Amino acid sequence: MKKNIYYSLLISAMVSVSAAEETRQVDKHEHGVGELNIAIEGNAVDFEFFIPGADIVGFEYEAKTESDIALVNAALEKFEKFDNIFSLPESSNCNLVNSEIGINQDDDHDDHDEHDDHDEHDDHDEHDDHDDHDDHDEYDEEAHNEFVAHYSFNCGNIKEIDRISFPYFTTFPNSGELEVQFVSEIGSTSFEVEGDEPFIDLKGKI
Amino acid sequence: MLLKLSFSSLYARLVTVGMTILAISVSLMLYMSVEKLRTSAYTSFTDTISQTDLIVGARASSVQLLLYSVFRIGNATNNITWESYLDLVSKEEVDWTVPISLGDSHKGFRVMGTNKEFFSRYKYRGSQSVSIDKGYLFEDLYDVVLGAGVAEKLGYKIGTSLVVSHGLQSFSDHDDQPFRVSGILKKTGTPVDNTVIVSLAAIEAIHVDWSTGAKIPGQLTPIDEIREMDLTPKNITAALVGVKSKLTIFQLQRWINEYPEEAMTAILPGAALQELWRVVGVIENLLLGISVVVIFTTLVGMAAIMFSSLSERRREMAIWRAMGASPFTVIGLLMLEAIFISILSITFSVVLLFCVLNLLQPWIDYNYGILVNIEMLAIKDMYVFAVFIIASITVSLLPAIRAYWFSINDGMTIKL
Repeated sequence: MKKNIYYSLLISAMVSVSAAEETRQVDKHEHGVGELNIAIEGNAVDFEFFIPGADIVGFEYEAKTESDIALVNAALEKFEKFDNIFSLPESSNCNLVNSEIGINQDDDHDDHDEHDDHDEHDDHDEHDDHDDHDDHDEYDEEAHNEFVAHYSFNCGNIKEIDRISFPYFTTFPNSGELEVQFVSEIGSTSFEVEGDEPFIDLKGKI
Repeated sequence: MLLKLSFSSLYARLVTVGMTILAISVSLMLYMSVEKLRTSAYTSFTDTISQTDLIVGARASSVQLLLYSVFRIGNATNNITWESYLDLVSKEEVDWTVPISLGDSHKGFRVMGTNKEFFSRYKYRGSQSVSIDKGYLFEDLYDVVLGAGVAEKLGYKIGTSLVVSHGLQSFSDHDDQPFRVSGILKKTGTPVDNTVIVSLAAIEAIHVDWSTGAKIPGQLTPIDEIREMDLTPKNITAALVGVKSKLTIFQLQRWINEYPEEAMTAILPGAALQELWRVVGVIENLLLGISVVVIFTTLVGMAAIMFSSLSERRREMAIWRAMGASPFTVIGLLMLEAIFISILSITFSVVLLFCVLNLLQPWIDYNYGILVNIEMLAIKDMYVFAVFIIASITVSLLPAIRAYWFSINDGMTIKL
C-alpha cells in the first residue's frame, strides 16, 4: 500500500513541474477500506459504494489479460445482484428502482464496457504531451481502479429498516472494512463495518 | 435474631467496617461518575448541532473541522475564500448556508462573525433554535450579541462597550473600533453560550488596518470611512449547509471534496461526531475498565478484612456456637455481614456521587461546556448494584467457609 502512495506522490510531483500554477490535489485511496454512503428520505433509500479494486479482485491495475478481465467482469456481475452486497429487512418492503454498476469513478459514472476502452497508463504519458491540463487530469492520473455501485430503492415501510447486513464481506473475501456514512431526516451518523460483525444497527435512526 | 446479631457484631467493629464501607463507596462512586460523565458528554456533544446537513471548511480531518467549527475547540487549518463560498451557495442542491468566521477573541471567549441567518438556522437538541433573551440581534456594524455564558461570566449588560482582541491569545486589541452589546442570548447548553457573535462585516471592518496580519503602525482609518467601505468578507472559516434533499447530500459532499479551485472538506456533523466517539470510546472503556478493577480490588480488600478479623473473632464464634448456632448459621452471619456492608456502601456511594456531581457540575459546565445531568439512577445502575451485591456475597464465601471450619474444629474451646 505504501508503495502505491509513493508512486502516486511521484506521479503528482512529475505533473506539478509542468503545471506549477494549477491547484493540485489527488483523491485519497486506501486499500482495504471501502466507502458506503446511505441516504434516506421519504420512501427512498440510496446506496453508494466506492470499493478499491484490491478489495474486490485483488489488483488495481487496468485489467488487460483475459483472466484479469474475466475477474473484473465476474465481480461486476456480483454487484449487479444487490443481495450479494447487502440485505434489507423483508418487512421494509423495499424494491430496487435503479442501479448503476461500474468500475473507476469518473464524473459520469461509467458502466462496464467503458473501462475496456481507455488505458490508464496512457493517461500518465499524456501529461508530458500537453500543457493545458484540464480539470480532469488530476483524477485521471490515479492508476487505482475503483468499483462504484449505486442502488436506489423505494420502500413500502421504511421505518422497518432497523438493520442492514452485508453479505459483501463473504461475496468478496479480499474485502477489508466498510466506512459507512448514513443520513436520514433525523440526522447523520457513521459506522465502521468489518467482516466479523457484518451489519449496522439503525434502530431509532430513521 | 440473626439480623440483629450480625448488625451488632458489625457495630462492635465500627472503625474497621466503616473504613471498608468508605473504600467500597468511593470506588463505586468512581465507577458511577465515569459512567455519568461519559453519557453526559455524549448527549451534550450530539445535542450541540442538529438539522445542519454539511459543514464545509478548509481541507482538514472531519473531526478537526467539526471541533473548531461547532465546538470552538482547536483552530482552523485554513480559511476558505468568499469566491468558493459563493460557488457553493449557487449549487442547486443547496437550500441554505450560514457562513462563519472565527479567529478573534474577547477575554478568552471566541468571537464569531456570521449573519443573522445563523440564529434561525443553527439548531440544537433536535429542533431548538437560539433565541434572544434581552435586546436585539445586531443592527449596527458595531453591534455584538453575547452568548448567555459570556454575559454572565463577564457581567455584561445591553449597552456595555467591549473591544475585540486580535487572535486568540494576543495582547493587541482592536481598540480603535469598540463594539456595543445589542443583545444577549438565552442559555442553550451549547458552545454558543460561550461565544461573542458579531456580523461578518464587523470582522472585516476591524481588520481594515490589519491587512498585513498585524496592525499597520500609524494607519488608522476613521470609523466613518470604514462604514462607507465595501465590507464583503474576503474569506470565511467555515459554512453550515442545509440541502434541499437528503438524497443529494453525498453528491454535494463529493463536489465540495473534489472542488478543483480550492482544497475544501465537507462533513456530515453526526457522522464526524460518531467518528470522534470511536476514538474517545477507547479512553472511555479504559476509564470504565479501571473503575471496575478498583471495585474488584475493594471487594478483595473486604474479603481480606473479613479473613483477618476471623482470628480475632474465633471467641465470638465460639460464643455463637455455645448459644446454639449451627456452623451454617456462622456462614449465614458472615454472608449477611457482606450484604450489609455492600448495601451500606451502595447507599453511601450514591449520596457521595450526588454531592460530588452537584459540586462539580458548574465547574465542568464552565470549563468544558458539558452539562452533567444529575438525575435519578438509571435501571442500568440497579443492575450494577445487583451484580455488586452478588459479587460481594461470592467474595465473602471464602472467609465464611473458613469460619465454618473454625467453628467445626474449635467447637466451644479455642485452641489458639
